[in-house]
Amino acid sequence: MRQCARFPRSSAGAAALALALSLSACGGGTGSAGGDDGRIHVLVYGDATNKVEKQLIADFNKTSDVKAVLDTIPGADYQAKLQTIINSKQAPDIFFNWGGGSIKPFVEAGLLLPLDDFIAKDPGLKKKFLPSVFNSAVVDGKAYGIPMRGTQPVLLFSNKKVLKDAGVRQPETWQDLLAAVKKLKAEGVTPIALGGGDKWPTLMWFEYLYDRVAGPGLFQKALDGDKEAWAGAGSRKALGMLRDLADAGAFGTNYDSVKFTDQGSPTLLANGKAGFELMGSWEYATQQDSHPEFAEKNLGYSAFPTVEGGKGDPRNLVGNTNNFYSVLKKTKHPEAVAEFLKLQYSDKFVKAQLGVGNLPTTTNTEKFLDTAASPHFAHFQYDLVKKAPDFQLSWDQAYPQKATTSMYQAVQRFLNGGLDEDGFIKAMQALPTS
Amino acid sequence: MTTTSLTPPATQRRRAASGGRPPGRSGTGTSRPGSAWAAPAAVFFALFALVPLVLVAALSLSSWDGLSGPEFVGLGNWKKLLDDPVMLKSLWLSVLLTVLGVAIQTPLSILLGVWAAGHQRNRAVLSAIYFVPLLLSATAVSVLWRAVLDPNFGVPAQVSWLFGDGNLFGVQSSAIGVLVFVSAWQFTPLHTLIYQGAARAVPQVLYQAARIDGAGTVRQFFHITLPQLRNSIITSMILMVVGGLTTFETVLILTQGGPGTDTTISAFYMYQKAFKSYDYGTASAIGVLLVLVATVISLIMVRLSGYGKMRSTMEGL
Repeated sequence: MRQCARFPRSSAGAAALALALSLSACGGGTGSAGGDDGRIHVLVYGDATNKVEKQLIADFNKTSDVKAVLDTIPGADYQAKLQTIINSKQAPDIFFNWGGGSIKPFVEAGLLLPLDDFIAKDPGLKKKFLPSVFNSAVVDGKAYGIPMRGTQPVLLFSNKKVLKDAGVRQPETWQDLLAAVKKLKAEGVTPIALGGGDKWPTLMWFEYLYDRVAGPGLFQKALDGDKEAWAGAGSRKALGMLRDLADAGAFGTNYDSVKFTDQGSPTLLANGKAGFELMGSWEYATQQDSHPEFAEKNLGYSAFPTVEGGKGDPRNLVGNTNNFYSVLKKTKHPEAVAEFLKLQYSDKFVKAQLGVGNLPTTTNTEKFLDTAASPHFAHFQYDLVKKAPDFQLSWDQAYPQKATTSMYQAVQRFLNGGLDEDGFIKAMQALPTS
Repeated sequence: MTTTSLTPPATQRRRAASGGRPPGRSGTGTSRPGSAWAAPAAVFFALFALVPLVLVAALSLSSWDGLSGPEFVGLGNWKKLLDDPVMLKSLWLSVLLTVLGVAIQTPLSILLGVWAAGHQRNRAVLSAIYFVPLLLSATAVSVLWRAVLDPNFGVPAQVSWLFGDGNLFGVQSSAIGVLVFVSAWQFTPLHTLIYQGAARAVPQVLYQAARIDGAGTVRQFFHITLPQLRNSIITSMILMVVGGLTTFETVLILTQGGPGTDTTISAFYMYQKAFKSYDYGTASAIGVLLVLVATVISLIMVRLSGYGKMRSTMEGL
């Protein structure tokens, strides 16, 4: 009766089994996209913006002989599911992505169609978009993505009332920010709300400081495989400044238990328990949604402070430059796909995106900014993006996906003191770049 | 435990009704169901446990990102894992979480189970309430506790003498504490249920005899109840070890393996490798390693507990 021992064994087997099953599910897939059923399948990230995409597809189907179908994958699972279906029969014709590292592995596997031919036939596919944005989906000199949805630069948000009570203004320089941190701390509020539990909000501080101190070149070099870039003087200076900021108590002490995604850090800002929060432009919509009164009256925003003597242009931005549509090489209907992509810079689409709070980066966006859900905020962002000499794609999107976990761990551990400068540099050098 | 447990009684009845000769009759007198009866369960087990296990073992020798076909790399993944400090740490963390879980849940559930075995009405009502966590999914429980333990808007914000700055998820010791506590909150009721049933099955004559000999409540507990619960304790501990080693969603939702890799247990590390890093080869190697570790642990437990030659405690009654 030794078989009683099969209990634990089979359960451990079940753990492996769960993995194996999910693997084999790659073939089965839930997506209905792909194959050739005479239609083009458009796969997008499932969220509130889908209503605009549905409308767009309905419009497209009115005139096109080849019909389009919209498939969605709910947010959190998007990238993992995409990875499992993209080289299968269920693969879509066109899919949503973040450019950069999110499509690089697909390009290397030879799955994506370079869009240069489309652009040669219709130069608008390139010219109608802001260059700093368009370039995020250029891999090895070839364009692989057409911007869709909107841009999401990272901005320094604030609670105007808290700042006023502490006698602080929206900081323009790093020194201003340090002084503000001191004053806010003396007032008994957490100077800067940080959702460290999510880790990517922590990463935003690294992205901006590296850009301001060393310019976008350092990160680009590192991404291109020159690991020594992380060990340079610019890198160490940025890390030192971050350390100073954390040591000054800017983020409080319990930020690693706070998250943005469960409304933790935005609520701190809205309730006046914190003065600032560095966050993507979606903070605005988040606050409008859960704290409408605060969003209207007291939500302040500005670009990231300048750093004196830094090599980076103070107008540079970091964040999600844009979302993109990329096309699979094996699509059977390239002409229809090209027609579909053209809609991305049509007046109608731009207006629809603005209506739901997204900020498209087409050259005609400017005309319609006044129709946006929040015109002032839309104007502010659009000007920033238009004038930015460089728009750094978030590091976690620029690196291949497989680097993300280790990168998150490194930034979290550096900020909370678990890693020193050398340890952080070593961790970043160990990240796979391809 | 006999092999009959593998065959659902319904099947047995149907087969018998259709007039089929009971297979496996050995002719030595005692009729025992033959191995054919185990076929449905065996096929199921083979299809959903053995085949995937073999496939995962094969995959562990390859490098595969899900895009192009798997590429054979021999023991490459295994060598990487052996040199990977996170892997070793994750095994250690898995064992630590399991041991802490057993150490905390066992005494708690024995005491609660024995208490709940009484037939008093208040005990029945309280135990009914106490079993509620059993009905909730681990995911719901984790989301709930994540909110309750929020440093700014949860309990820690109000009870600062106990929680300090409330940075429960930012420090390894407290993050592990939270994981152990939440698992205990969720699973103690199950084990309490096991002990309640077992305690009720203890023959009353034993207690009556003990009382005549002048044994008090405490003595009765240690000399009658506890020895009588021996088999249940082993069953419950095995369940705890299995549950501990396969813990996953609690970590995924409460700590995401953080801070850093301080709560990255093996099952979660496997998930990260497979579905965050798209390194299915290494993830499969971790899966196989988990199977091996669990097998060794289960063999040790069977040896130590004498589970294999377990006898009824009712003999002679």
